[in-house]
Amino acid sequence: MKNLSIDTQLRLLFLWQAALCLAALFGGLWVFFSAPWGALARYGVGLPLLLAGAAAGLSAWDIRQRRHRGRVLAIAVNYLGLLAAGVGALHVLGIFLGIDALAGTFGRGILWLLLALGALFIGGLGERLEYRPQLARRLQQGGRWMAALFGVIFLLRIGTLPALLWLLPRLLQPLPLGLLLAAALFGAALWLASRRPVANALHAGVLSDEAISGFLFLSPNLLGFLLFFAGPLIFSLYISFTDWDAFGTKNFVGLENYQKIIGLDLVALEAPDQAANTVIDVNRFSELARFNLLGRSYLLAATDKLFWISLRNTVQFVLMAVPLSVILALFLANLLNSNLPGMRVFRAMYFLPSVAAVVGIALIWQLLYNASIGYINYGITSAVNALNALFGTSLQDPAIRWLSSVDTALLSLVIMVVWQTVGFNTVLFLAGLTNIPTMLYEAATVDGAGKWAQFWNVTIPMLAPTTFFVVTTTTIQAMQLFDQVFILMNPPEGPNNATLTIVLYLYRSGFQNFRLGYGSAIAWILFALIFGVTLLQFQRQRSSQMEY
Amino acid sequence: MSRKTIWYMLSLLTIGAMLLSACAAPATPAPTTQAPAAEAPTEAPKVESPTEAPAAAAPTEAPMAEVALRWRTRPDNTEEANVYSEISKELDAQLEGITLAYEAGGSETSSYQDVLKTEIGAGTAPDVFWIPGTDVADFATRGLILNLADLAGKTEGFNVDDFYPGPMGHLTFNPETSQSGADSGALWGLPRDVSTFALYLNLDLIAEAGAPDPREQAANGEWTWEAFLETAQAVRALGTDIYGYGASAWWGPYGVWLNAAGGGFFNADRTACALNTPESLAGLEFERSLYVDHDVAVPYGEDPEAPFRAGKVAMFQNGRWATPGVRTVTFNWDVVELPKGPSGHMGNWLFWGAYVVNANTQHPEEAWKLVQALTTAETQAKVAALGANIPSRVSQAALDAFLTFTPPDNNQAFLNGLNDNPATEGPLWAGSWPDYDKIMGPAVNAVLTGETDVATFGATICDEANKVFGQ
Repeated sequence: MKNLSIDTQLRLLFLWQAALCLAALFGGLWVFFSAPWGALARYGVGLPLLLAGAAAGLSAWDIRQRRHRGRVLAIAVNYLGLLAAGVGALHVLGIFLGIDALAGTFGRGILWLLLALGALFIGGLGERLEYRPQLARRLQQGGRWMAALFGVIFLLRIGTLPALLWLLPRLLQPLPLGLLLAAALFGAALWLASRRPVANALHAGVLSDEAISGFLFLSPNLLGFLLFFAGPLIFSLYISFTDWDAFGTKNFVGLENYQKIIGLDLVALEAPDQAANTVIDVNRFSELARFNLLGRSYLLAATDKLFWISLRNTVQFVLMAVPLSVILALFLANLLNSNLPGMRVFRAMYFLPSVAAVVGIALIWQLLYNASIGYINYGITSAVNALNALFGTSLQDPAIRWLSSVDTALLSLVIMVVWQTVGFNTVLFLAGLTNIPTMLYEAATVDGAGKWAQFWNVTIPMLAPTTFFVVTTTTIQAMQLFDQVFILMNPPEGPNNATLTIVLYLYRSGFQNFRLGYGSAIAWILFALIFGVTLLQFQRQRSSQMEY
Repeated sequence: MSRKTIWYMLSLLTIGAMLLSACAAPATPAPTTQAPAAEAPTEAPKVESPTEAPAAAAPTEAPMAEVALRWRTRPDNTEEANVYSEISKELDAQLEGITLAYEAGGSETSSYQDVLKTEIGAGTAPDVFWIPGTDVADFATRGLILNLADLAGKTEGFNVDDFYPGPMGHLTFNPETSQSGADSGALWGLPRDVSTFALYLNLDLIAEAGAPDPREQAANGEWTWEAFLETAQAVRALGTDIYGYGASAWWGPYGVWLNAAGGGFFNADRTACALNTPESLAGLEFERSLYVDHDVAVPYGEDPEAPFRAGKVAMFQNGRWATPGVRTVTFNWDVVELPKGPSGHMGNWLFWGAYVVNANTQHPEEAWKLVQALTTAETQAKVAALGANIPSRVSQAALDAFLTFTPPDNNQAFLNGLNDNPATEGPLWAGSWPDYDKIMGPAVNAVLTGETDVATFGATICDEANKVFGQ
């Protein structure tokens, strides 16, 4: 290739881009109009193909006109093509399915790999023995031979030979072979387009090359974001307008899911105990609440009662858990922000629940909360008995049914989650506290401020950015409560749906009740709620910053 | 080449080799020296006896290529998973031309069904898997599992009547014709096992309370709701932390009280709610009295198993699957059948789950062979020996063998449950069972925790529950 003239190289690149343009446009149109696929697959494959075709066409035209843009587009198209063909080949060959078994392969060969590395290390030691050249040479040669021997054993142990025998016939199948060939062609075109002579011929500057390099380095993250975050996000938005059950056809239902989720009806009652089925259409609505307003009784009905119950539970949880977690963390951080001996140990202890596995924590708390044999009730009973014995009182053992009572189920969750999150928030506050200049406290002391006044007038304002971060992240986490409730409660929704949270409800709708479209709609409503709450917090933060 | 480049290349080579080896290992079926399957057609499996493994009686005419099948079930504990693993190895050796890979699914609480559904959606689910009886309709009507009727029709010696009729009624239900039975044109799978409820007894507590032995009362035909309540009250009087009765908070335990009173969840053809019938409400009222009025039960919603194992509950209602766990307790224990209610029956359930075939399997015939092999009396006996369940085949030999799997001594209590016209756990072909359960569960919970009364429950429940029919 290096021997070819630059004109020939550009001509080759032009021809490749033009062919690519035609192939991609033809493929895209075929996918759109003739492929026996669903709408989503047609758009998902056809649109990128048409875009790639257009980009390749524009690139060919620009290369013909010796414009630098043609090279940039060629690099982009061929890079994406190389990735798509490469990943496609790996997928067709079933490579991804085997990655799960990597641990087994690794376990079989790790010893020999370590020995090979050790041998290389010993060989490398030879270079340090310049004063004894004979020994150095022996060490280097011996190390290499041993490394090669262990390397071969390693390859045999992990089964490379049968794997190659398995792979080779599959490589010769038309589809994998075609994909690998396409990957090679894309790779060659990419290499050609990225060569300096081509860049010079297309008037590309150094800055342009740097930009291309930058984007190439960013590409794993960008592509990962598009494929694994933005893509599913858009997909979930799309299916929220369908009745998809995760397996069958997706029927477009417009806003029906959203209407059903948030649909409410308020009706006036003739008597407070009037039967619901006499005032609402019980085939569509369920009674949500009754209340009295200005001497008149009303009944509030919902098309999806459980959504409103889950929303109420989630809001209650947030209102209890967030302040508790934040205030306790602030208090603890101030306690731990000293140089007393052993403070580091305490900090680590408080942080431990944050790094412990949620499942393990929830199972332990489940036992602690057990009304009959749990340690919490045992402690309460013992305390009540002790008080009665000591003071002759007749206090009743409350025998709290932590997890099975509507009154305490959510509170039990709050206690566990606060216990779990307070350590992490404490560390954040500690970091904030260490950033407060000590001279502010010194100045406040000189001005006669006591500890309490210092806390209110120095610590709290200076911690505002940290507090904002802690409150925002804790609120978002609390609104997405799922793991803890799923494990701790049995059933997860708790007594009379007392611990049914929004995420739990969307999980149940989507995965357990075969309504993925409906579940997605709930997820988007939750997103809107979290977005709204976070926006409010940002606005408050901005206004409080202006005050200072 | 610089040393750095050599290092890079060696590292890449190592990683590539490991990846390649890893990928080849699971994707490659067991090596075979036989001719390809396409050139060597096999005969349909000849099942000479329903109790024999089909493969053992179905020799192939010509050598064939190995077909790799994955199968999964939901074991209740590690011991059970080990038994299934052993069974898989034995069947692997028995079934010619089939290589098996057993996958122990997670427990119910670790979302066995949710994981399975996700895998089905992703196209990575096993060829054969177990699902609870209540899920059969959802899986069948969505086309997720294979209708095996044609394959069964070609299988010599296969007879749906070899299994308990309750589960087979659901497994042969044809939603297009609403017919069940051998000629319905539908067969969604075969039941893995069956189970019923019994009361696990803490005999020490009952003796300490001076209450009569429930086993003797049952033998004399005196084990009724009243006798049950008296025993529970006597034990409860032993201490504030001692309970007469305990049951978990799901549809099974509360359903028996409704059934025993002559009621039930659904009408006869399972197309509408029947929770508000006088019989159902009477059953619920009695159960409510256990929790609220007489306060003899572990509070509803609290796990009763832990206090039972701690020696604080006299009568713990659970299925056969609880036996392996109960076997570790240190007090004297046994089981007794459920007390008989106003209907003259215990109201017990016939619990079951089924092995079904993935609709997307590449090897339906081999998968069907595996389903049959997994449900032979011989295979079921190996699982039943653990004590966790009862064979699903109607076979006196299987039942006789079951009686020997002690403790408990009174295994007959489970069989009495089976013989007392139990209500069969089943799917809802006319509606969504998960939705029904999610409406019924919290409403019953509200009654049993005293938040609402039975009359209010009866007035509103079917308005809500009937919404799940015809969705």
